[in-house]
Amino acid sequence: MSDLVISVRDLTRSYEMGAEVVQALRGLDLEIRRNEYVAIMGPSGSGKSTLMNMIGCLDTPSSGEYWLNGQEVSRMGDDALARVRNKEIGFVFQTFNLLPRATALHNVELPLVYAGTTARERRARGEEALARVGLADRMHHRPNELSGGQRQRVAIARALVNRPSILLADEPTGNLDSATSDEIMRVFEALHAEGQTVIMVTHEAEIAAHAKRVVVLRDGRVESDVLNQPKAA
Amino acid sequence: MSQTFSRAFEGIGIALDSLRASKVRAALTILGVAIGVMVVIAMASAITGINRALERELESAGPRTFFVQRFFQGGLNISDGSDELSPWRKNPWITVNESEMIRQLPAIQEVSIDESTRGAVKYGDIDLPSVGVAGFGPAWVYVTGGEIVAGRSFTAMEYAAGARVAVINDKVAERLFPGLDPIGKTIKIFGQPFQVIGLHVAAASLFGGGDEARLAIPHSTFEKVADYWKGWMSISVMPVEGVTVGEAQDQVVAALRGSRGLKPAQENNFAILTQDRILETFDSMTSAFFLVMLALSSVGLMVGGVGVVAIMMISVTERTREIGVRKALGATRREVLFQFLVEAATLTLVGGVVGMMLGGLIALAINKLTPIPAAVPLWSVVVALLASIVTGIMFGMYPANKASKLDPVEALRYE
Repeated sequence: MSDLVISVRDLTRSYEMGAEVVQALRGLDLEIRRNEYVAIMGPSGSGKSTLMNMIGCLDTPSSGEYWLNGQEVSRMGDDALARVRNKEIGFVFQTFNLLPRATALHNVELPLVYAGTTARERRARGEEALARVGLADRMHHRPNELSGGQRQRVAIARALVNRPSILLADEPTGNLDSATSDEIMRVFEALHAEGQTVIMVTHEAEIAAHAKRVVVLRDGRVESDVLNQPKAA
Repeated sequence: MSQTFSRAFEGIGIALDSLRASKVRAALTILGVAIGVMVVIAMASAITGINRALERELESAGPRTFFVQRFFQGGLNISDGSDELSPWRKNPWITVNESEMIRQLPAIQEVSIDESTRGAVKYGDIDLPSVGVAGFGPAWVYVTGGEIVAGRSFTAMEYAAGARVAVINDKVAERLFPGLDPIGKTIKIFGQPFQVIGLHVAAASLFGGGDEARLAIPHSTFEKVADYWKGWMSISVMPVEGVTVGEAQDQVVAALRGSRGLKPAQENNFAILTQDRILETFDSMTSAFFLVMLALSSVGLMVGGVGVVAIMMISVTERTREIGVRKALGATRREVLFQFLVEAATLTLVGGVVGMMLGGLIALAINKLTPIPAAVPLWSVVVALLASIVTGIMFGMYPANKASKLDPVEALRYE
């Protein structure tokens, strides 16, 4: 099996905005290997949100190919995409997007509900995922009883619970103060160290600096793609 | 299987969450469904009660007893006094002689004539203005059932002599003679003195006494003293053992046709009522009743259904983002659809359960406050619950479909 997790070739995506056609992606190529830690950056309008939606299988390209773990995702229908999202992608959102009336544990179990996992196994894996992000003692709290950092960690546990190929984070620290941001970044680094592939979309250079590789987009294409130098101590 | 279950539970969970989150809104939504179900349950239990009372009444008269009457028509009779709308006019009255003739038939064990009215009954200072007074033949207890619990009924001799004797029921005894032994007392019926000779208890039922004050006197006496609507005597007929009810009826019909001189082509100018026939007629009346009820409760369910559409549309809009999250986490269209349908069905089912409890309370009240032994039949519970679930699914389909078709990217961006 190839080491390649994501392979994107000549990807385009255009939207119709009234009479205008907006080209969000204009022939983008990108490859990401297993256990990479990649930050995708770019100014607004550069296409990074569109690319994230493509990588996350929430949207399909107008043309081009997207291969995820050896499967061509760009030709799939809605239900097949939902299955791929469930198995291969772990989403972490800027606004956490937890279900407000569900406990932390139930939130984490949700992807397993759609995977058809039995209740007993859901519980075991949910607890394990929460323990992994250091929230073993907060399982039965609801989101409004948790701090922002704790909420984001619940969301990370939810992203991890189905053992996805990639952890896909969209501005994961956008709603957090800098101390909490560092805390979340340490969680990502630990997961990367354990072998998890992490892809993070951000506009903050400081956050991107935590990644091992930084891809910068401009006008729907890759402008630069560089490896980060290890930070000086 | 277990997948379907856990997804259904997820849907039920969402539904209960949204119920908790907006109690008033949810309560208003399910009100229509609750009222619809309440009507079904209350009516079904009342009709069941009436049926049961009727059956009990007929059984107390002995299941083989049948009735000869001047005319019988099921349902409501509406007459403007014209001959066309008063078809009973062409039928001659039933006579005492005819009852004697029927009694002589080999297939007949015993008969009793029966004519009744209402009248004032007095004892000392106590005045009961409206008591059911029946004039019977001497074999009435044997033929119509029930039991003489004290004293005796009138004899054939007393009957023949037109004696002023009365058999009262327990309700008359309670009111006229509280704490006293009624036997031997003299009471006034239609202003005439009568001696109380017996106490009769009918099996408790809707039509045959139960709560009603009634007394029986010899028919010969009844004809002399009572103020009553003439021409409506009926004969209760009990076949001998070993003869079917059908054979006994055939003999009665043949004898009456013979004595009335009917030609073969002419219709019977009298009516034979078997208990089956009475039940059938009653059933056809209640089924008409039922249709009206069904229409009414469907309106309730429709109103409830429209409410479900409204609350579900709001719910889908409010939770657009949540739907986006669920889709991002791997929910397929069908799963989102299913969960919202389960939510709608849970809402209406809760409404149905509330309506069932209210209907049950009404049935209980009917039971306590009226002589109708109302009881909630099992089928009505099943029908009510199914109807409320189906309402939820039917009316939840549009909003659920809308939710399932949301684009995840758009939904996640929704503020």
